[in-house]
Amino acid sequence: MVSIRFIAAIMTYAIGLCGILPLFPWLTTVPRLVLAVGLLAGLWQDSRKSWPLKSWMQNSVIVPVFLYYAVQFSRANPIQPVVSLLAIMLAVRLAGEKTVRHSLQIHVLALFCLASSSLFDLSPMFLLYLGLMLFLVAIALILLAFQSHENTMLLSRAELRKVLLAGCLMPLLSLPLLLFFFPVLPRTQLPLWNFLSSPAVRTSGYSDKVEPGVQPSVGESRALAFRAEMARQQQQQLYWRGSVFNRMQENRWVRVEGIPSEQPVSGGDSINQLIYPEPSVSRVLIALDRPAEIRLIRLKRSPDGVFEYTGPLGRRLNYQARSVTSGTAPASGLLNRRFYLNLPEGIPPRITKLAGEIGRLGKNDLERLTLLETHFRNGNYRYSMSGLPTGERALEQFIFDGKQGHCEFFASAFAVLLRGAGVPCRLVGGYVGGDYNQLGGYYLVSEDMAHVWVEAFIEGRGWLRIDPSSFATNAGEVWNPEKSRSLMLRVRLTLDYLNYQWNRTVIVYDFEQQFEFVRRAGKRLHGIDPAGIISSWPYPVTIFLLGVLLYLIRNTTLFRRREERILRRFLRRIASEFGIDAGQGRLGLFEIAGLVGNERVGEFAAIYSGAVYRDRRLTDREYRRLQQILREGFVVKASVQ
Amino acid sequence: MSPSTRNQVFIKMLETLSRDYLQGKEEVLRLSAIALLSGGHILIEDLPGLGKTTVALTLAAITGLSFGRVQCTSDLLPSDITGLSVFNRDEGHFTFQPGPIFNNIVLLDEINRAMPRTQSAMLEAMEERRVTVEGVTHHLPGPFMVFATQNPSDQSGTFPLPESQLDRFLICTDIGYPPRVLERGIIAGGGIRERISEMTPLVTQDDIMTARRDVHSVYLSDKVLDYIHALIIATRSDELIQTGLSTRAGINLAQAARASAFLAGRDYVAPDDVKNSAAAVCAHRLVMRGGEMSASERGIVLRTIIDRIPLPLV
Repeated sequence: MVSIRFIAAIMTYAIGLCGILPLFPWLTTVPRLVLAVGLLAGLWQDSRKSWPLKSWMQNSVIVPVFLYYAVQFSRANPIQPVVSLLAIMLAVRLAGEKTVRHSLQIHVLALFCLASSSLFDLSPMFLLYLGLMLFLVAIALILLAFQSHENTMLLSRAELRKVLLAGCLMPLLSLPLLLFFFPVLPRTQLPLWNFLSSPAVRTSGYSDKVEPGVQPSVGESRALAFRAEMARQQQQQLYWRGSVFNRMQENRWVRVEGIPSEQPVSGGDSINQLIYPEPSVSRVLIALDRPAEIRLIRLKRSPDGVFEYTGPLGRRLNYQARSVTSGTAPASGLLNRRFYLNLPEGIPPRITKLAGEIGRLGKNDLERLTLLETHFRNGNYRYSMSGLPTGERALEQFIFDGKQGHCEFFASAFAVLLRGAGVPCRLVGGYVGGDYNQLGGYYLVSEDMAHVWVEAFIEGRGWLRIDPSSFATNAGEVWNPEKSRSLMLRVRLTLDYLNYQWNRTVIVYDFEQQFEFVRRAGKRLHGIDPAGIISSWPYPVTIFLLGVLLYLIRNTTLFRRREERILRRFLRRIASEFGIDAGQGRLGLFEIAGLVGNERVGEFAAIYSGAVYRDRRLTDREYRRLQQILREGFVVKASVQ
Repeated sequence: MSPSTRNQVFIKMLETLSRDYLQGKEEVLRLSAIALLSGGHILIEDLPGLGKTTVALTLAAITGLSFGRVQCTSDLLPSDITGLSVFNRDEGHFTFQPGPIFNNIVLLDEINRAMPRTQSAMLEAMEERRVTVEGVTHHLPGPFMVFATQNPSDQSGTFPLPESQLDRFLICTDIGYPPRVLERGIIAGGGIRERISEMTPLVTQDDIMTARRDVHSVYLSDKVLDYIHALIIATRSDELIQTGLSTRAGINLAQAARASAFLAGRDYVAPDDVKNSAAAVCAHRLVMRGGEMSASERGIVLRTIIDRIPLPLV
């Protein structure tokens, strides 16, 4: 009979050790000492079965410790105080009486300790401890359930074995669930984490046409557009290129087919990005201006550098892009100038007049471009999201009267004037800017960063990126990179990081990557240096603990001993060879031997009883002989003789 | 000779007896040997003419021990058994004339015919191994063993032994009719009484005394002890039994089991030893509910109890 309290206490200590050991090397001296003292105090009190340390004493000890570490906590030093506090709380709990409540607290604290050890070092040993803890906690929870029911309960060996078996089975049985929750469920395109944030399909921001003058004001949406995993860039270079609008029809810019071919000349420094767009109705793939290459299947590339996805929409995907960010896209050969000079009928005369003026003054395309730029810079234009001109003559109003508008007005006006002046150009839709998330190493681009700018073709240089909105007088305020360094943004970025990790590691994680991860983990395991293991002390301790565990398994009555095992085999053999059912102690061994009249059965009975009824264990030699007898069988041998 | 080989003489003795003299009586011979080796007494309860007396005689003859016989009747006096002082005229004082009890093996035939007074005198001698006559205590010889017989069917003019006195017999057993073939052989061969006098002893008195010490040192494990105890406890709560087994029954069962283990050539007791001597050691001590039962009927009750208790196998 074993007291359930005793077993539960052992389990609790084991779980505590599982939490302490991986964390111990990373702790400072004080928490280490406290842990050691707490553990010893707990063991001492448990062995004496009296607990002079009362619960209220422990709780009152924790308060000043908590305050001390709360003061220590800072952004520069966030981990050590938390970890120390965890360790000390665990030590204090270990030092006290192991009531059901306290045991549960120890389990949780130990789990936290183990988890926090992964902040310092994520070695394969962590997995070992985690697995061990999983099993121990499962068993301990069952035992505690009994203990909470009756504190002084005694368990017989058979009952205890049942409990242990159930405790071991639970984690094993949960494996299929684990499989379901982690590799299977995330593959169902359900936005699990996302249910709190933005709707899946954008309603504003980036669109497939540029149509200034439709609404008097534009609402900003902070909905996420995409994330781009890449190194940090200069803020001025963050133009994310999406679609190109090459034809003006009435008051709006659209994209028409029949795009003339270009011969882009690749060159310059390139930047690689990994882009995770949010699902949307748009097929256009965004990348840093100007994308030289996007790697994705079902991809359609237009001559003007627009990439479109031809696969099914609404899926989460990610792709690799390589961009050249010089701001100019060199192109060789002749350009179909007519295509990029096309203007619709009914351009207001004032605009035609201004464009003609610029066309005359400038000797070549570059000069005309500079002239127009000067016109915008000196024209006292303001960037605004409200008080916008509307109606058919909105563009004219913007250029000459209101001089207030958002990027679409700036870009449209600039492009119309440029085309009027005889410089081939087009509108580019995309995003500008982005919040860099240091934690995840990626840019976060939201819908309110949607932007339109102009690309002008200059003979000999290629396509030049011009952002007319930056000519606004208040451009500095609008694009001030410091504008958004607020606390809210930081919180938003942190929350987004979690979302991002979820998407990245769970949702768009493909099997290949998982396999690669497993392979890498396996490689790491192979790469463990045995000398390194021995020199680092947690490993010997772990091995020692495993040894103790093995010893207990072999030698305590908790587990079936080999005498019991071999007796079972013997009885089964007797039942199968002689048809005698001697189970449950119905017949003695010599009785069986007398019944069957077989020498070898007699020998087995003599060797086995000689050990068992002399109150000693079977020696290894005896055990081997018994095994041999069982292996060879009784009847077979008898017939040989 | 080591303890494990010292049992060989007894094995040989039992073999010789059951082969040459008492065919079909292996069990009663084995039980007799157990009683002899553990210093107990045996009560054989069976019908006349089945060889009760012959068993006692042959055992005495083969061990070379002195043999005394008392045929009990209702007018038998204690002094007829213990002996008495007789005045010696030549020497001018009383000298003690030892009775038949001053022998190593004493056969008390039909013990239930003796008066209670005589019975208790005999039983005192059995228990104390000494006799007090006229204020002088006389010790009984070295190995001392009583072979009592009684006839269960013969009820008139008998004084059945009270439970307290039955408890003093280590073993109570019956003999039973021999198997058909053996019985025919016995009839054909005639009695063996004449041949008994010609028997050569196979076992000496020293052998017996050494063996008794060996039996005493046979190892009794806690597991087997638990088994014995569980058995005794079980008899105390059985619904067929009015009074269960006494502590002395437990002591005797352990003794018998040790002797049985010794005979099997072991220096430790296996639960089998307990099991195969329990009926003979315990059945006669049970006081049954609902009227008298013969020893063999009690044996059946006891065996069902034994079957209920699992043997300690690990």
